[in-house]
Formats: sequence, C-alpha cells, structure tokens
Amino acid sequence: MNKNVKRALIILGFVLLLVPLGLLTDAPAWGEWDNDFYQKTLGFVPKGIAQAKEFIHPLLPDYSLPGTNDVVGYYISAIIGSVLIFGIFYLIGKTIAKKHDNN
Amino acid sequence: MHIPDGYLSPATVAVSYAVMVPLWAYGFKKLKEKLDEKTLPLLGTLSALSFLIMMFNVPVPGGTSGHAIGTSLLSIMFGPWVAFISVSFVLLIQAVVFGDGGISTWAVNSFDMAFVAAFVAYYVFKSLKDKTRFAPFIAGYISINIAALSDSLILGIQPLFWHTADGHPLYFPFGLSVAIPAMMAAHLGVFGVIEGVFTQIVYSFLKKRAKEAKI
Repeated sequence: MNKNVKRALIILGFVLLLVPLGLLTDAPAWGEWDNDFYQKTLGFVPKGIAQAKEFIHPLLPDYSLPGTNDVVGYYISAIIGSVLIFGIFYLIGKTIAKKHDNN
Repeated sequence: MHIPDGYLSPATVAVSYAVMVPLWAYGFKKLKEKLDEKTLPLLGTLSALSFLIMMFNVPVPGGTSGHAIGTSLLSIMFGPWVAFISVSFVLLIQAVVFGDGGISTWAVNSFDMAFVAAFVAYYVFKSLKDKTRFAPFIAGYISINIAALSDSLILGIQPLFWHTADGHPLYFPFGLSVAIPAMMAAHLGVFGVIEGVFTQIVYSFLKKRAKEAKI
C-alpha cells in the first residue's frame, strides 16, 4: 500500500476514534434549527419549514441510532457513513475498470 | 451550512438543480478520468475524512455550533472538480442516511460546501503555494468563508422574495442583514481557522510522506 494512503488511513482512524467529541455541544448550527426555535423566536413556524419536516425519514437521524446511547450511535454513524463513502468510490472504480477491460 | 428541506423556495430549488446537474455531470466525468487503482484509496479516505470532520461540532457564542468541511484538503490534493464531486457525495449520504441537510436542498448545499469551497481553495492555494508554506491554511480559511457567504446569501434572499401577503416569510425567515453577519462572524472567527488548521496539518502530513515515498 502507498505510504500516503497508509498515512491518510491512520489519520482517518484517529479522527474516527475522537468522533464523540463532536457530541460535546448540542447547540444546533446557525440556520438549522428545530421548529420550536421558530415558534419561540418568531411566534410562528414558516409554512414551508413546517410542511417539509414530515417527508424525510433518515435511517440514523442526527447521527444517532434509536435505542442506543449517543456515543454508540455516533460511532455507528461515523462508521456507516465512512463505509458508504468508500463504497461509492469503490463502485465507481469498478465501473471504470470494467470499461478498461472491454476496450 | 447544511440547509434542511423546507428552508428554500421551490424556485430556488429548481434553479439550483438546473445549475448543478450540468456541473455534476461534467465534474463526474472529470473524476472518472482521475480515478484509478492508485488514486481511489486516497480519494476514498480523504472523502471519508471530510464526512467525519463534519461531525465535530464546535460551539460558538450565540448558542449555535458549526464544523469544518474538509473540501479544501480534497481540492488541493486532487483538483477542484474531483473535490466538488467527492464532497457532493458526502453531502448526499449525510442528507439521505442521517437527515443532515435536505434532499431538495442538496444542490444548494453542494454548490456552497463543495463547488464554491473547492474552487476557491484550489485557486488560493495555487497562487500562494510558492510564496508561503501556510498556503493550505489560507486556502482552507478563505474557502470555507466564501462558502459560508454563498450560503448566507441564498438563505438571506428567501424572506425578501417569498412571503405571504401580510409579510410572513414562507421559508427561511431571516434576511441578508441577519444571515450574513451571523454566518460570517462564526466562520471568520472560528470555523475558518479549524478548516485551515485541518487542511494544513493533513496536507503537510501527506506531502511529507509522498516525498519520502519517492526516494
């Protein structure tokens, strides 16, 4: 394996290990509030925002696995996300390799 | 910067997809040209790193939080088109699997955090790399800030154009005069520094090894 890749994987592993640090704050990002923030601040929830919330059902909402604690859910989310991203590039790589074979 | 569903008017969503689909198509072609058995492992790793680094929420004064995005590192390592497509994939996974950022807003989020950040980082780095060893830091710092500016402009125009007859906003309710200072203060002060430090550290780490590997 290329040394650069080895190094990058070590960094990835290190960052993965530290990922629960991201849970130290539960403050939302600016502009990514829950509906009750708007209710409290404006006295109403803008119609578009109120209606949108219902049609999205993510598998691991907010990087948590329902039924587990936050840290476990965050670790599982970090691993699943990383694996899916590797999977995307792997699949693209496969299709390219196939094309090369056909030529 | 992950704009959720419902925050942008349907017109904004339509325009953003009309702009982004050709850019995605062109960028994906570029990525496939660059992707082979040698680049794939590093590109996959740094894209996963971009995903993970976005999970490190850092609080800022005012009751909100934010994070780095890792786009600048991908851009100076692989070029802006590859970085743009890679981070767009990261944003898609975040939206679909984790509900972080919307589906309808994926195009706008990809424009800000992937396209704008990648191209700004690339050109800043290119123009500074022979002048200072801190070019990766500066590229990271400036690129996430321009991305945040783009994000705040798109959010800030929502109440200007789309509201009810009696003035109630239909989508994102805060205008430019609120959105720009709020987003920029946090990114100029905190998240830009984090993006810069992240880019500088990982880039130096990898480049050093790359030189050693050649010997």
